[in-house]
Amino acid sequence: MTAAAYSAPLLDAAGLGKRYGGVVANDGIDIRLDKGRVLGVIGPNGAGKSTLIGLLGGAIAPSAGRIHFEGDDITALPASERARRGIGRTYQIPRPFLDMTVAENLAVGQFSLSPFISAATATAERRDILDRCGLADAADVKARDLPLLRRKRLEVARALALKPKLLLLDEVGAGLIDSEVSELIALIRSLMDGERSIIIIEHVIRIVKECCEGLVVINFGKVLTKGPTAEVLASDEVSAVYLGTSHGGTAKASPIAVPSTTDDPAPSPSATTAPVLALEGVSAGYGQARVIHDLSLSVMPGQVVGILGTNGAGKTTLAHVISRSLPVTAGSIRFAGNDITNEPAHSVAARGIAHCMEGRRIFASLSVEENLEVAARHVRAAERKLRLERVYALFPILAERRNSGGTSMSGGQQQALAIGRALMAKPRLVIFDEISLGLAPVMMDRLYEALAELKREGLTMLVVEQDVERALDLADTAHIINKGRITLSGPTSVVRADERLRHLYFGTEE
Amino acid sequence: MPALDVILNALISGVLLGGMLALTALGLSIILGVLRLVNLAHGEFLVAGAYAGLFLLQWTGIDPLAGLALIGLVLALIGYPIHRFLLVPLAGKGPEASMMTMFGLSIILQNLFVLLFSADTRAIDRSYANVPLEFGPISVPQIFVMGFVISVVLIVAVHLLIARSRFGRDLRASADQPQAAAIIGINVSRVHAFTFCLGAACAGIGGTLIGIALSFTPTSGASYLLTDFAVIVLGGLGNVLGTLVGGIVLGVLQSIGGLTLGDGYRDLVGLVLFLAMLSVRPQGFLGHRA
Amino acid sequence: MTVLTSQNTPQRAISIRSPTIRIVIACTAFAVLLAAPIVLPAYFVEIGFKLLIYIVLAEAWNLLAGYGGLVSLGTSSFFGLGAYVTVGLINHAGAGPLQALAASALAGIAVAIVMSRGLFRLRGLYFTVGTLALAEALRLFVINVPWFGGATGLFVTVDLPEIAALFRYATLLLALAALVMALATGSRFSVLLRAVRDDEDAAGQVGVRAFRIKLAAFIVASALIASAGGLQAIKLGAIEPYGSFGLQWSVDPLAIVIIGGLGMRFGAIVGAVLFVAIGELLADYPELHVAITGVTLILLIRFAPRGICGLAEAALRRRGAAPREARP
Repeated sequence: MTAAAYSAPLLDAAGLGKRYGGVVANDGIDIRLDKGRVLGVIGPNGAGKSTLIGLLGGAIAPSAGRIHFEGDDITALPASERARRGIGRTYQIPRPFLDMTVAENLAVGQFSLSPFISAATATAERRDILDRCGLADAADVKARDLPLLRRKRLEVARALALKPKLLLLDEVGAGLIDSEVSELIALIRSLMDGERSIIIIEHVIRIVKECCEGLVVINFGKVLTKGPTAEVLASDEVSAVYLGTSHGGTAKASPIAVPSTTDDPAPSPSATTAPVLALEGVSAGYGQARVIHDLSLSVMPGQVVGILGTNGAGKTTLAHVISRSLPVTAGSIRFAGNDITNEPAHSVAARGIAHCMEGRRIFASLSVEENLEVAARHVRAAERKLRLERVYALFPILAERRNSGGTSMSGGQQQALAIGRALMAKPRLVIFDEISLGLAPVMMDRLYEALAELKREGLTMLVVEQDVERALDLADTAHIINKGRITLSGPTSVVRADERLRHLYFGTEE
Repeated sequence: MPALDVILNALISGVLLGGMLALTALGLSIILGVLRLVNLAHGEFLVAGAYAGLFLLQWTGIDPLAGLALIGLVLALIGYPIHRFLLVPLAGKGPEASMMTMFGLSIILQNLFVLLFSADTRAIDRSYANVPLEFGPISVPQIFVMGFVISVVLIVAVHLLIARSRFGRDLRASADQPQAAAIIGINVSRVHAFTFCLGAACAGIGGTLIGIALSFTPTSGASYLLTDFAVIVLGGLGNVLGTLVGGIVLGVLQSIGGLTLGDGYRDLVGLVLFLAMLSVRPQGFLGHRA
Repeated sequence: MTVLTSQNTPQRAISIRSPTIRIVIACTAFAVLLAAPIVLPAYFVEIGFKLLIYIVLAEAWNLLAGYGGLVSLGTSSFFGLGAYVTVGLINHAGAGPLQALAASALAGIAVAIVMSRGLFRLRGLYFTVGTLALAEALRLFVINVPWFGGATGLFVTVDLPEIAALFRYATLLLALAALVMALATGSRFSVLLRAVRDDEDAAGQVGVRAFRIKLAAFIVASALIASAGGLQAIKLGAIEPYGSFGLQWSVDPLAIVIIGGLGMRFGAIVGAVLFVAIGELLADYPELHVAITGVTLILLIRFAPRGICGLAEAALRRRGAAPREARP
């Protein structure tokens, strides 16, 4: 232990904060990291983890706080200067240089930092990095032609080409199968050379468990707790944040002897009636990346169906497929007896599917009331007024703020508005996508009370949710989606008791 | 130092002309705001409106001011197939493709004008274009006042359409979040088509007014395109009434520039202001990412 | 076009790999061009000069738009600037043509540096609009400020070199442009430039100082364009704002590159040859020529966004791929 090692930490971020309008993404976060250490950052979706990466990497300017790197204040430095000082980051959604080859993607960092590096050295370094990241065979492939998972590897490789002193990994493990997770862990471990420091943001708990010495848990943009990895992971508080606030003894119930199989996912509480929604062998994705595969499910009238799964499993993609805002590559979708596979989103809405989208998507230039009214289409004024009053009865706060701008409200109020907007169409089916994202528990409680009320009124719902307990409390049936396929379905009581559920979320699956 | 009444006259004609500029700029602004399209053929729409006014008068004898609604309709009818057959197929190919297509259209139209109507400088000859209206020392051509009033009325009408009507709500929703708008049942492509036609109509009607008040050539479009950009930057993108203010401010500044530096500097003042605004405050019309 | 010689790269059918061979071919081509005016009839020298100027402009525009993602409609501002600086120096400072051309290149660089601060704040479409405004503002400035002869323009008051000499100057300029482009598009710099084009933010995250990279490309392109403008002015012997700052000087290079192939190494040359050929065929109907250019632009953007070279490359790749698959 030398004197130098005892001096200032490599990274010292104090009181970091970022607000977007009324929404606080990060609030007073302190992170210190010594040279050669590996720190994990975990927390639910929308907790502000990616914002933190952006603040450290320089892509986002902080509203508060200071960042010191190797003792220098780098708060005001742009991303390029931070990269030159040795901070390398990855993007959660990969952003490779699409029209360049994989090797060229790496060369950007090399040539930018050391323009006169010898060609042989540069080539050798690239080859080494590509080998380590499992991209050796793709060196001359255009990044545009890489599938999503390989693009994620390229993110890591490109950051490594900077030879960073501090590496920021933003959910590089999401969507990987277990053997790939093992490879990734091996890669991260090989980077732990006692010199390089790494911050890992991750939902795949196994990676965190096996790579990180310490953990920071972020929730609602604040540090919830921090400490040695094993201690933090064992705490009930952290478990609650992940599985949901109402997490309790139910999960300890003994496994049911007959688990539902993936072959027959269609639940049938009322076999006599026809399903209101039926998906048959649906596949879909974005560009080259296929996100959901050969997926079938059906929803009965009056039924509440929960769609559960980890980040990147394909839940939101599924929601967009059903509301027809994303084309399908295979399969068919029927709604109320009609084939809607090739219908545009707006006519599907007219048929009675409402989609309360992830991220709320409130219209900023419309007032609260206009945001609601715009969704009640082709309806007489009296009827519209009636529906408006119903929504206001459900969420009185919206009535109070009816003339404010749609996005001037807090996150929870905006979510209430998004739910209200979906109801204004008097839909036959509502898709609720991650309505609890980034909300305080008290607000989640209120929103789920409203959903329970809607259920009592007989509304058919598809609830996409990362908060497992809340979704299971509300739903009649649940489907667990993993890597774009349904891996477990059944009545909520069965799903709740299935060991695989907890495994899925904490990555203890074999 | 020119006499006080000269200054006063210049300022007032600046305000009046600025109002007409604002109407044309509105066409550029709503297309940019809703379709996210830099319509580089905007200037040619404006010139097309001026020619429409000219030939309406020559062929039918209908006064262009009386035929403004007709001219607007014609421009909208021209705009529809342009949107349907040139722009819709480029959806998803990035903003550059649409912009360059409109640029191609702009040079086609410019040269079509020359081929069909010759390169001569034209003016729509109406008595009210020359007869001044006098209030004491102030004397401006009647058309300036008429054009200003018509422009303000139309701008306010568009403002009300966007701010109050059901279509306006759909339009704002589509501009904010096209995907979310489609999901709640708005036919976004229809909104886009209508917005494009409305933009073309605004440009055309404004073009007719300017064609009466001033003169025009087949190639006048480019400079109006840039002037209108300057108006949008001053007024703020997506702000209809702001566009009116932006137009008036620019009109007055142009008048001052013309008065102090010489008449040729009128347009230069607008452009320099535009470039200066861009380098100082690009977010003036960069409210959203391109 | 790839800068990196990575392991076991499959040889591409169309590119001539060996740098020595490339240099020999290029030198021979330029030697032939330098000798050409002796044997060619005057008409062809005239057309050849036009072609050379267009290739230089198109190479510069391709560097900005194709490699740097900076879609400019401001080519005419630097073209006109070069023309006025050249004529001014020849008339008033007694400069020779080469000195005057070098000075206009420097003037182009100076204006590029001054304007870069404002222009580079604008991304994508807004950059394009900014460059268009710059061109228009410069033209109005030249018309109105009394030093430049107003709308009538300026005449070169000294004896002008012959067309054969001008052709050789243009050849030298093209050689310079080719050299610069070879360096800019086949070097480590090109890797950085294309990274900025593809994703400016991501480039920043790997240490690229995007502003400097864009500025370097902008300076090189501006210097080339300004020299070409000066050369054109010497050839005409007279300049006026509508001609030198005319929108056509912004449109033509753009059309040439889109026809030839945006971001393609030979896009500028292929496009220029076609463009000049069509221009000569329609020489009596200039408006029709421009209108046809517009139609071509719209069609290519829609159906062949990578231009003629892109189509050729795809065709060659298909032909090259088919027999390879046939083999076991």
